[in-house]
Amino acid sequence: MTTRRWVLVGAGVLAAVWVLGAEWSSIHAGVQENHLLDALVGGTFIGAGLVAIDRRPRNAIGPLMVAFGAISYIANWNNLGTIPLFPTLAVVSDMISAALIANIAFVYPSGHLSSRLDRIVLWIVYGAVGVTTLLTVLTFPRPPAGCDCPWTPLFLPNASASSFFYDLNQKLAFVLVPLFLIAVVLRWRRASGAERRALRPLWIAVALLAVVFLISGFTPSSPDTTSDPFAYLMWELRGVIAVAVPILFVWGLLSERLARSAVGDLVVELDKPMPAEDLEAALARTLRDPTLQISYAIGGGRWVDCDGKPVPAPDVDDAPGVTLVERDTEVLAALSHDPAIEPGLVQAAGVAAGMAIANERLRAEVRAQLEEVRASRRRIVEAGDAARKRVERDLHDGAQQRLVGLSLGLRMLEDRCRDVPGVADDVEALQTELRAALKELRELARGLHPQILTEEGLGAAVESLADRSAVPVRVTIDHDERLPAPVEATAYFVVAEALTNVSKYAGASSAAVAIARSNGSLLVDVTDDGAGGATIGGGSGLLGLEDRVAALGGTITVVSPLGEGTRLHAEIPCT
Amino acid sequence: MHVEEPEITRVVVADDAVLFREGLVKILEGAGMAVVAQAGDRDALLAAVAEENPDAVVTDIRMPPTGTTEGLDAAIEIRAARAGAPVMVLSQYVETRHVARLLEDGAGGVGYLLKDRVADGQEFVDALERLVAGGSVIDPEVIARLMRRGRNERELDRLTEREREILAAMAEGRSNGAIGRDLHLSPKTVETHVGAIFSKLGLEPAADDHRRVLAVLAYLRTT
Repeated sequence: MTTRRWVLVGAGVLAAVWVLGAEWSSIHAGVQENHLLDALVGGTFIGAGLVAIDRRPRNAIGPLMVAFGAISYIANWNNLGTIPLFPTLAVVSDMISAALIANIAFVYPSGHLSSRLDRIVLWIVYGAVGVTTLLTVLTFPRPPAGCDCPWTPLFLPNASASSFFYDLNQKLAFVLVPLFLIAVVLRWRRASGAERRALRPLWIAVALLAVVFLISGFTPSSPDTTSDPFAYLMWELRGVIAVAVPILFVWGLLSERLARSAVGDLVVELDKPMPAEDLEAALARTLRDPTLQISYAIGGGRWVDCDGKPVPAPDVDDAPGVTLVERDTEVLAALSHDPAIEPGLVQAAGVAAGMAIANERLRAEVRAQLEEVRASRRRIVEAGDAARKRVERDLHDGAQQRLVGLSLGLRMLEDRCRDVPGVADDVEALQTELRAALKELRELARGLHPQILTEEGLGAAVESLADRSAVPVRVTIDHDERLPAPVEATAYFVVAEALTNVSKYAGASSAAVAIARSNGSLLVDVTDDGAGGATIGGGSGLLGLEDRVAALGGTITVVSPLGEGTRLHAEIPCT
Repeated sequence: MHVEEPEITRVVVADDAVLFREGLVKILEGAGMAVVAQAGDRDALLAAVAEENPDAVVTDIRMPPTGTTEGLDAAIEIRAARAGAPVMVLSQYVETRHVARLLEDGAGGVGYLLKDRVADGQEFVDALERLVAGGSVIDPEVIARLMRRGRNERELDRLTEREREILAAMAEGRSNGAIGRDLHLSPKTVETHVGAIFSKLGLEPAADDHRRVLAVLAYLRTT
């Protein structure tokens, strides 16, 4: 046993002496009451408080409960009538005990106040109770002359003032109790799931205390067993309930210990292989916190979720809702959870799941790398598109313009030398050649990136393709709105390549293009009634397009049985 | 005896490529037209048209600031301000959609040609004159595409091969007489065919010019 335990055991013995001595004092003075019950009520508070101090050394609830239990016996000791200062202390302890109960309720279960409102209300309770108590004590009346009474402080002795302040103190309950209840209700409303579970014992305790309060209000303070048996029974009941309250508090405080057994179940569960998101779910189940999230540290100060998607770095500097999972001083992951869950419990769960978390982190890292590769592939596609657009523009504004200008110049030259034999024919031949060059250049520039795709979108561009096709093409498009540029360009090039193949190889008499949106993807279907037998790999240019589609996370399939036409189907996510 | 002076066609020309613009101006002036203003972008073109109120406008489709369809937008704006104002839109590429937008207002006097056609000199000047006379001129490439597309369309299925040929020529802005000469038909026969086209396409009797445009529109809308 540790020294601290010995000290606590010593304190327990002292408390027993204090309680039993108090009851002895009452019996000695001939006070009529149920001494056993009286001893149990306060004794339970002290005992429960000591257990709480043992199990939750840094929690203020233990000392508060011990204090509440201990001071309730000052009045008993005072029955001896010989101890100095005790008459005053007996009054003080009687007057402030309600404030101590409020304090316990406010800091339950964490041991500290959770909001400004709670702090303010508690200050009001202590302030009001403290001031009235002080004024009552200061005006305490002088004992009658010749009485062999113990010493009491006599500053402004005034019996009526003292009893007025005492009454005021008692009546404060009508204001403070509702205020207290409002604060407790508000606290419940803003509490998270785990906090609410933790607050449940408090609610039961508050309800029980309300019953005690009611019984005290309607029964005389020390009813006679024979004259009013019902009142006596109620009075005993009040005592039993009062014993239940401290036990309830301590049970609630220690119930996180019960939750720890769930960590054991977690270990068993983690022994089986499971998908990544199940690990998060298993931890959430164990800690009974559906909001729990795991972020994995993948080096370089980067954090990802279980899918490998980047997430903001968790607040690792001792934030209450974040628990780090470490191995050999290396941070593996961070568990973001409800701050109300006891940190030790989360840590235990984190250690239990350590191996699974380490594995999952590796997987998340691979996924993150995959995600990066995918993003860079997409960027390459986009950069390619941008370059194609730029070249098209340069051709349009440069070479094409110049050649058209040149063609005009030649026309004028032709007009001027119409009468020079031979020359006019030469110029005409040049003109024809130039026109062919212009046409080739136009086709080339158009193939790079058609202006109409940028201007009017996929529908117009595909219709334009269909117009140009040597084979009649029927186009159906189920939407009119614009899609992200890489999606439009990819779909366009898929259709363009497919239609080129239809004209070149399929020997088809007609083809159809259908473009539809479904579940956030763009579905592109190009079908023909040609010879079939097409494959993606067969030098058709579809291989490059397959890469392009895959870069956007899409797929492309070709079904082309011999003699039954070809059906190309592409799905491109519209993100 | 009073001799009426031949009216000179006043033209505004817009293109951001100076070399081409100057060549175009020379060709138009060589054909006896007057180029009263030149513009390099959409705003300058609209300002020049408002100031000069020309008989015809020739504009490139792709001009600053965005380099997309400024010329086309300007043409539609000019024709919205003055219905039927003759505008010839030139482009490096021909797009059926552009033609459809130009023809949407249903009035004559629109032209849409590949830029290369300007180098045809006299033919280009003829086309512009047809525009000024209230006709429409659509690039043969667009017509060829429409004919291909037409093969798939039910409405145009009812037209005979000959009627489709004539409709294509109409879309190029040719008069009945010119169509007759090209296809070696008598003007009377062409007129009969045109009447058949109108009735098959369900076009109510109205001003002949307008019905011609509507017939072309029917082509463009069968998408």
